[in-house]
Amino acid sequence: MFQRLGITFNVYGEEQGTDRLIPFDLIPRIISASEWHRLQAGLRQRVQALNRFLYDIYHEYDIVRAGLIPAEQVFANAQYQPGMQGLKLPRNIYVHIAGIDLIRHSDGDYYVLEDNLRCPSGVSYMLENRRMMMRLFPTLFAQTPVSPIDHYPALLSETLRASSLNPNPTVVLLSPGRFNSAYFEHAFLARQMGIELVEGPDLLVRNNKIFMKTTSGARQIDVIYRRIDDDFLDPLIGNPDSLIGVPGLYAAYRSGNVVLANAMGTGVGDDKSIYPYVPDMIRFYLGEEPILKNVPTWQCRKPDDLKHVLANLDKLVVKETQGAGGYGMLIGPAADRKEREAFRHAIKARPDNYIAQPTLCLSSCPTFVEKGIAPRHLDLRPFVLSGKKIQMVPGGLTRVALREGSLVVNSSQGGGTKDTWVLEDEVC
Amino acid sequence: MLSRAASSLFWMARYLERAENQARLLDISLTMALIDVPEDREEQLSVPLLVTGSQDTFNSLYDELNPQNLITFVLLDDRNPGSVYNIFRIARDNALQVRGNLSADVWESINLSWLEFRELRQQGVTESSASQVFDWTRARSHEFRGAAYGTLLRNDAFRFLRLGTFIERADTTARMLNIRQQLALLPENDQASRPFFEWNALLHSLAAYEAYQTVYGHNIDPLNVAELLVLNPDVPRSLHACLQAIAELLEAIEGDRGRRAKRLATSLYSNIRYGDRDYIAEHGLDKYLADFLTRIQRIAAQIQNDYMGWQT
Repeated sequence: MFQRLGITFNVYGEEQGTDRLIPFDLIPRIISASEWHRLQAGLRQRVQALNRFLYDIYHEYDIVRAGLIPAEQVFANAQYQPGMQGLKLPRNIYVHIAGIDLIRHSDGDYYVLEDNLRCPSGVSYMLENRRMMMRLFPTLFAQTPVSPIDHYPALLSETLRASSLNPNPTVVLLSPGRFNSAYFEHAFLARQMGIELVEGPDLLVRNNKIFMKTTSGARQIDVIYRRIDDDFLDPLIGNPDSLIGVPGLYAAYRSGNVVLANAMGTGVGDDKSIYPYVPDMIRFYLGEEPILKNVPTWQCRKPDDLKHVLANLDKLVVKETQGAGGYGMLIGPAADRKEREAFRHAIKARPDNYIAQPTLCLSSCPTFVEKGIAPRHLDLRPFVLSGKKIQMVPGGLTRVALREGSLVVNSSQGGGTKDTWVLEDEVC
Repeated sequence: MLSRAASSLFWMARYLERAENQARLLDISLTMALIDVPEDREEQLSVPLLVTGSQDTFNSLYDELNPQNLITFVLLDDRNPGSVYNIFRIARDNALQVRGNLSADVWESINLSWLEFRELRQQGVTESSASQVFDWTRARSHEFRGAAYGTLLRNDAFRFLRLGTFIERADTTARMLNIRQQLALLPENDQASRPFFEWNALLHSLAAYEAYQTVYGHNIDPLNVAELLVLNPDVPRSLHACLQAIAELLEAIEGDRGRRAKRLATSLYSNIRYGDRDYIAEHGLDKYLADFLTRIQRIAAQIQNDYMGWQT
């Protein structure tokens, strides 16, 4: 039994030998069908509003004019791409693939912790975790009505194809290459979808059209599922030192000859300083009440909020607005005096760089640890696909903090993953 | 398919074929060195270096040409760009870049070769353990070929992979034949039995000894050996078999970018397909092989240029 406990699921698995291990926990996380239906409706609503928001801030600026979001929060945001203004995108979709991080609070309700609208990753872990579970416990799956998720690559493929107006588009996945930590996922998805996995040097631009260099000549590309950040896509526009990008890609994109999924400039939508406004966006664009709650957030740029944050540093979680991956954050109750003081100085120096949230009581789930089975905190990242319609597979990637009491689930911070079971019935 | 992927597959297969050939070559040289008279031992040991043109590298790294040094140099030394260690490393590196074009079986086979060889290298290889390593290398090579042949979709990815195999094999057969015939014909060789051993060694290192026995019976005749290894289409490592495969594979590749490569390959194939042993006897095997080597290298370069080269 204890041998099982230490089981680590090699996510690079047979793929890459021993290159990288992310702990995989054998006990699945269970979500009931009714719970999932509500989540699904909430996710649809939220992603729809975010897409409307991104369209708005690059076209009509209604939400800014209505005074709901301060102009400087949008236009002075480092992720805002002025070059996207006025650019018409097919179906007005900016975020084709979104990863929405949810947590379940001690009140039993789900809260959105963060929206990931740039290049959300982790979906291959979700799929491989399920594959592993089915291999290890086939009988469990025969007896339990677990909703299947293995059609995700098909849905993703459908979404990418629908992102182009060309009825039979050529789709590729653009990866930074095999030294990127998510390369396994890139190769995995490309293979599952039967599309080419390309790198910057495989592409060339002629007459504002993008081609890939193939053995039978240059072949035009209609859709690029890019797993490269905005800044590295085109060295002529972004980082001039980027070797992973394609010179001229931006001009081709502006000409409407190629679709990028996700679009450029989506980062402004998942910035932590914009996050507090998402419920307002839902009301503004859709005229609906948000189904999924936001975590209450204090914006240090507001003097009153700042005062509250500084007075309650020992109770709050403070995050950099640009931070990601569990870096650049302070967990007040867990931090010592010195760390808190360091953050106090940093916040005072650049209040607009920080937000604060109450320390949440993340739900936990039984998890194998060294001493046996114990509760560990977890979150959930469903992947929401926007094409002709908004689709997702039931569940998502469950990340679990393996250290006792830890609230940080990021794999870069020692987190692990679990399979997520959405049950088709209430009874199990 | 992507030019970069084609290039990776091509080179991956070339390298894996080379690993097997290196092992065969070294194996036979060590055996020959044992049966040869002591004065000629060094000559036998130098064969693997001659075939790969790596004498200078060897001499710059080692003081003496003895079996142990040769084993270390050919198999393990990371300072030798052509060592089996480096070959497996580069092959796996290429495989990793085209992971999406390989079946799980092929990838796992290559990955395992690399992981196991790395372990072998840490343990070291001595004269007495060398033969096990040769067996292992051959077995790994067989597994890779079997996995590739048995599990890969027959598309251009498969064809570029196989092209790499046959280009490398043709090149190696021609080089080995060339070196052995030079050694067999050395004028200072007064031993009557010397040529016999040389041809024997050659047939063994190309896994064609049994084939020779079946086709010609027991007497080893130089022209028969040449005929078997150049003109016989049924010997898997003969130049004829390799060129036939190369011509057919090129023919099947999509698009018309490779017209030059196709032309060169088809023309060389015709020369061999309709060649005859008297022509080789008249012209001299050495000249024939020198011409072949030039042409096969041109074909390899042309394949890369036509399908994988992009001037920007």
